[in-house]
Amino acid sequence: MKLTVNGTEHEVDVDPDMPLLWVLRDTLGITGVKYGCGIAQCGACTVHVDGAAVRSCQLPISALEGEVTTVEGLSNAETLHAVQEAWLDHQVAQCGYCQSGQIMAAASFLDLNSDPTDAQIDQVMSANLCRCGTYPRIRAAVKAAAAKLNEGA
Amino acid sequence: MKKTLITAAALSAGFTLAALAANTEGPDPHVDVTLLEEGSVTQADGLAAWERIYEVVSHPRCANCHVDETNIPMWSGPTYGEARPHGMNINAGDSRIGAETLMCSTCHITSADFDTPPNAAPRYGIDWSLAPVEFLWYGQTSVQICAQMKNPDTNGDRDWKGLVDHLVHDAEAFGPVLWGFNPSGGREPAPYGLQAHVNDMIAWGAAGQPCPTE
Repeated sequence: MKLTVNGTEHEVDVDPDMPLLWVLRDTLGITGVKYGCGIAQCGACTVHVDGAAVRSCQLPISALEGEVTTVEGLSNAETLHAVQEAWLDHQVAQCGYCQSGQIMAAASFLDLNSDPTDAQIDQVMSANLCRCGTYPRIRAAVKAAAAKLNEGA
Repeated sequence: MKKTLITAAALSAGFTLAALAANTEGPDPHVDVTLLEEGSVTQADGLAAWERIYEVVSHPRCANCHVDETNIPMWSGPTYGEARPHGMNINAGDSRIGAETLMCSTCHITSADFDTPPNAAPRYGIDWSLAPVEFLWYGQTSVQICAQMKNPDTNGDRDWKGLVDHLVHDAEAFGPVLWGFNPSGGREPAPYGLQAHVNDMIAWGAAGQPCPTE
């Protein structure tokens, strides 16, 4: 079956029940997306499908409808996405394992709501776990990214 | 497989509600619909049918997403332990699909394949959402839900035949009605089964949608 990831079309020969996460990591070698829990409880595997955040561990490849974007494809070769810039500015990552999912969740959220309150940020990002406890920096970075995106609007 | 037979027929002599008993095994979306003439079912049998309907719609598989204007889905039922709000600080918002914050579809994939492991996000064949806020079932009494369900202002502008159609069409689409009777991950299903529930809705409707008074 065919799928488009980060603008590139791929053809894969896999079990239709294989979750998108496995296809990305094991079949296509796109390893920015992480395996965390496998049951949609942690958010480490978050990617975009047509711009919307999706837990790739939950999506059988046969049910995929739309173009996939992983953290590798969030920005172009020239510039970082505002969320990625904010992540660097606020030095969000500690161990870094969850940050791919955090960044993809934040980027999708800011597409829905470009001027979120702290409470809204906490609400959305509660579904992405960080075992290092970097939540205050996550909130600050999402807030900064929103401000940056609004500047450019 | 997905073909639905809808047949209008009069109540035959000797027909009893006991004959409506049915069972459902597996996620079979097929429902036989035999509509009954209005007035052909007694009030007593209609009320008995309603009480079974109430058992279904107040069951956690159905009620957990029929919540109030807080827009917070619930986790309740035997597999969840103590009833509590959906984990991860989830709020589906006024959109009832999470559009304001985190879409339900982020985790609840749209797929007619119900088979998901315990603790994973369940899924069904239409986009996951809370029911419209006026369809409030969670924590409500039989009296309250009966009044809601027979009122077109709070039931999606449906008469009783419309309610039957809703059940049939949702099941055909492998939606939450079918899932509620065939849930994944070891969750307890809603009681009686889809066919019996449709039969009860028909009997309740043909009896004039009687509601309990207390």
